[in-house]
Amino acid sequence: MWKATIKGLLAHKLRLALTALAIVLGVMFVTGTLVLTDTLHNTFTTLFDNIYQKIDFVVREKAAFSESAGTAARRPIAESVAATVRAVPGVQYAEGTVSGYAQFVARDGSAISTGGAPTLGVSIDPQPQLSSLQVVHGARPTTSDQVDMDQSTAQKYHFAVGDQVRVLLAGPPRTFTIAGIVRFGTAGNLAGATIAAFDLPTAQHLFDEVGHYDAIDVLARPGVDTAALHRAIARVLPPGAEVVTGQTVADESTSAINQALSFFSTALLVFAFISLFVGGFTIFNTFSIIVGQRTRELALLRILGASRRQVFRAVLGEAIIVGLMASLVGLGLGVAAAVGLVALLKGFGITLPSGALVFQARTVVAALVVGVGVTVVSAVSPARRAVRIAPVEALVDRGAAEGESSRRRITVGATLFALGAVVLALGLTRPAIGLVGIGAVALFIGVGILSPLVARPMSGFIGAPLANALGVAGKLGRENSMRSPRRTAQTAAALMVGLALVSTIAVFGASLSRSATVSVDEAINADYIVTATSSAGTGEFSRAVAGAVGAVPGVRAVSTVYTGNFEVRGSLATLTAVDSARLSETVILRMASGVGAPALSAGDLLVDTTTARSDHLAVGSVVPVTFAQTGHGTMRVGGVYQPNALLGSYVVSDGFFVSHFADPLPVAVLVRTTSGPNAAGKAAVLAAVHDYPSVKVQTQAEFKQSQEKQVNTLLGLVYVLLALAVVVALIGIVNTLMLSVFERTHEIGLLRAVGMRRRQVRAMIRSEAVILSVFGAVIGVVVGTGLGVSFAASLSQQGISRIVVPIPSLVLFLVISALLGLGAATWPARRAARLDLLAAIASE
Amino acid sequence: MHALDGITVDFERARFTAVMGPSGSGKSTLMHCMAGLDRPTSGQVFVGDEEVATLDDAGLTRLRRDRIGFVFQSFNLVPTLTAEENITLPASLAGRRVDQQWFDYLVDQLAIGDRLSHRPTELSGGQQQRVACARALIGRPDLIFADEPTGNLDSNASGEMLDFLRRSVDEFGQTIAMVTHDPRGAAHADRVLFLNDGKVVGELQSPTADAVLEQMKQLGS
Repeated sequence: MWKATIKGLLAHKLRLALTALAIVLGVMFVTGTLVLTDTLHNTFTTLFDNIYQKIDFVVREKAAFSESAGTAARRPIAESVAATVRAVPGVQYAEGTVSGYAQFVARDGSAISTGGAPTLGVSIDPQPQLSSLQVVHGARPTTSDQVDMDQSTAQKYHFAVGDQVRVLLAGPPRTFTIAGIVRFGTAGNLAGATIAAFDLPTAQHLFDEVGHYDAIDVLARPGVDTAALHRAIARVLPPGAEVVTGQTVADESTSAINQALSFFSTALLVFAFISLFVGGFTIFNTFSIIVGQRTRELALLRILGASRRQVFRAVLGEAIIVGLMASLVGLGLGVAAAVGLVALLKGFGITLPSGALVFQARTVVAALVVGVGVTVVSAVSPARRAVRIAPVEALVDRGAAEGESSRRRITVGATLFALGAVVLALGLTRPAIGLVGIGAVALFIGVGILSPLVARPMSGFIGAPLANALGVAGKLGRENSMRSPRRTAQTAAALMVGLALVSTIAVFGASLSRSATVSVDEAINADYIVTATSSAGTGEFSRAVAGAVGAVPGVRAVSTVYTGNFEVRGSLATLTAVDSARLSETVILRMASGVGAPALSAGDLLVDTTTARSDHLAVGSVVPVTFAQTGHGTMRVGGVYQPNALLGSYVVSDGFFVSHFADPLPVAVLVRTTSGPNAAGKAAVLAAVHDYPSVKVQTQAEFKQSQEKQVNTLLGLVYVLLALAVVVALIGIVNTLMLSVFERTHEIGLLRAVGMRRRQVRAMIRSEAVILSVFGAVIGVVVGTGLGVSFAASLSQQGISRIVVPIPSLVLFLVISALLGLGAATWPARRAARLDLLAAIASE
Repeated sequence: MHALDGITVDFERARFTAVMGPSGSGKSTLMHCMAGLDRPTSGQVFVGDEEVATLDDAGLTRLRRDRIGFVFQSFNLVPTLTAEENITLPASLAGRRVDQQWFDYLVDQLAIGDRLSHRPTELSGGQQQRVACARALIGRPDLIFADEPTGNLDSNASGEMLDFLRRSVDEFGQTIAMVTHDPRGAAHADRVLFLNDGKVVGELQSPTADAVLEQMKQLGS
């Protein structure tokens, strides 16, 4: 029996390859993601281990809250502690480190920004063996006007030792002389971050930490019992400070990076699984058709004594072999893709420390399990149908049976659909992403089961214009898509899922985009908004910008906006600060209860209505809060405001913020002028910030546009990732059309014999493909619109205040689907047109 | 309307029985019932002393695999397997070893020794039917059903096929039931049954082609 299975597979290499392709792409995606993130993980682990390998201990303040390295907020530690530590016997060396914001300015006057990585300013330790930075050219900075630059930045922007470079800082920008070029461990820079290294006193001055350090690095004397030394240092530390090993800090840094990486890999894996899910539909469809076409052969095997189990195993065996081969190919391609992605990251200026590609056994297992699993699960239902083939079907032509009754189909499909919808709704309200996924899968399968019920009338409807335009070829294409509604629907199902997801994102994105712009109108009445040029508007810039802008004639009010993490009622939250004195001139804060500006001036906390409701807060409530700098305390709720997408859930005055955060940097400066936004006014503001090339000035309208653009950029990325699923769906259509052409060889031969031209044959196959695609796309767009609206609605509390259905985009999707269907038909149509007439008629 | 209407038929062991009748006379249904491919709505079917109608699917599978051989009009070879693999397919489905001596003997008798590694598409109709014949005989079944085995063959190949079937009955006591339209084919049998409208309407022992033709004419009028 195995021999028959394998021989059968080999006899249909093309079919095998096309079927496998759907799985290959999904497995490639999974493998690529795993290899890439494993490699990055390994790279960073090695990097941090190397950096902290030399450092025995780190002395620092305990975190006020949140122990995870990414968000841990610590107070600086007093300089005097370093002297105390040095006095401990067994300590060979101890020196402080500080870091902060420092951004280089390129020769053309523009700020050197990164793709979202920080622009770091750090102190460089005079003791070479202690420092994570290695000088590759020149020397360490020793005076207050010297800086060392990271190798990647120096190479990319053509700086060398001895050059002058401007550096943007929290305070006014300054010009330094490059004393040396450094690298981070073995890498040119740290994952794309730029590094400006100063000597310790300069760094303390620049980062507003005079008299303080961020932490103190400690080196033990050789041969000292480190455990004993650890205890000895701990004994002399003031309350609130702690000593940890270098390894602990390395692990913390690694785990912070890992959190980011795991988010990244989860996001990619979601798209990988979407492709595999769509691939599953394709596999299911292909196997259904294959079983249909092999009915006679399978029935013959049953006559010759094959048991039901043997037939089941034969079909499933074919699935296992296809899945296994596809997974192996996908595995290889995935590794190649990971190599390519690492190269791509390098192209974006993110130089990674050199490290071999990490290929874990887990990756192989995951790829095989997922690839073979999806294939086999998708083939189970066709295999069960194969089992039901009666032996006698080898002898009598019964015609393709249409399987289970439509009543059963409605029951099963509707149940799955309803169940999926309920689980999805549950997942959205929780929110629980896993439930959303399971719900969506059930929903899609439900739709897939139900769609054959409407396939015949819908294909007829979609095909009507084609039949009119193309005459008999169009008519035949239409008939073909109508005569087997189940096959039409099954083929279209994969595209349906792809289009549903694309439409979901389109609706969700349009709603997000509209909400973002509307929320700008509802949140800000400033004429100009000053933000960092770098990345997604989360960049920070000098505090001096507000002062410079405030001095411009005609400027009526300036508000500096800060954001930072704090702990409220025991959980981490984001706090936003605005100018309290001129509040109403820059920000629209609609109070539900209490007062706005006076409360802020009094040092009170404002919360939005959503938070007030969920946390049972009202004006006069007193909440426990914790700040990294100032520790535990309480705040009075001075007012409750209507949700404001830009300000978030908690607002304080800028004065309060500055006194509770160390060295805070603005995220935006809001400017109101006496004359309203105009070109001259903007030019004046721009001139005032000329010294700060890291900021841009936008009118409110421009700011809205850039917000929209951000959403659209993100959408573009998601579309690209979803495109893979659509490609998989198209492969399914190509495959089905090929199988149908093969199946109808005789019929096509007859049509040719009675005078159909090749062109007409091609038109017939193409019509069928277009009908298939549009059918799938229409259902997908409808389902996707529903999903998108529910997603958007479920996030109304999170700032999605408007629900928009972008009709033009959705129509465009339908048109594109039709064109893609046309494209998918190219090869099968050519094949059908080229059929040898005589052989086609003779074949039976 | 019943395809088979209250008839009792027996096929004797080691004998060659032909079944004739016009289309729709019930001969296919009779064969399908006998071979465990179809179930009678009432009545009993025995192969040896095993009652076919009461068997479940697994039992029917075993019956077909172990006790019955099939030869079809359209050969029905598995196109992806070679001639040899087609012949041994029932044995490999059953997980049994092939009796190599018996295999060699059949291949020799059917003169397909030099075609064993060929695919069905590379064989002539006569060769394909001989392979199918070997496949039916290889398991030494109690009974062979031949469903118009010469329907797709030219007269030469037909003659050879019928001669071989005849010899397998005479030389190693094979039991054969054959459906045919061809009076000359039926003349190779020991006995001919005539069916019409689901009933047995005639029977000839040791028939000749002329006798069969005569009988058909009478029934046709």
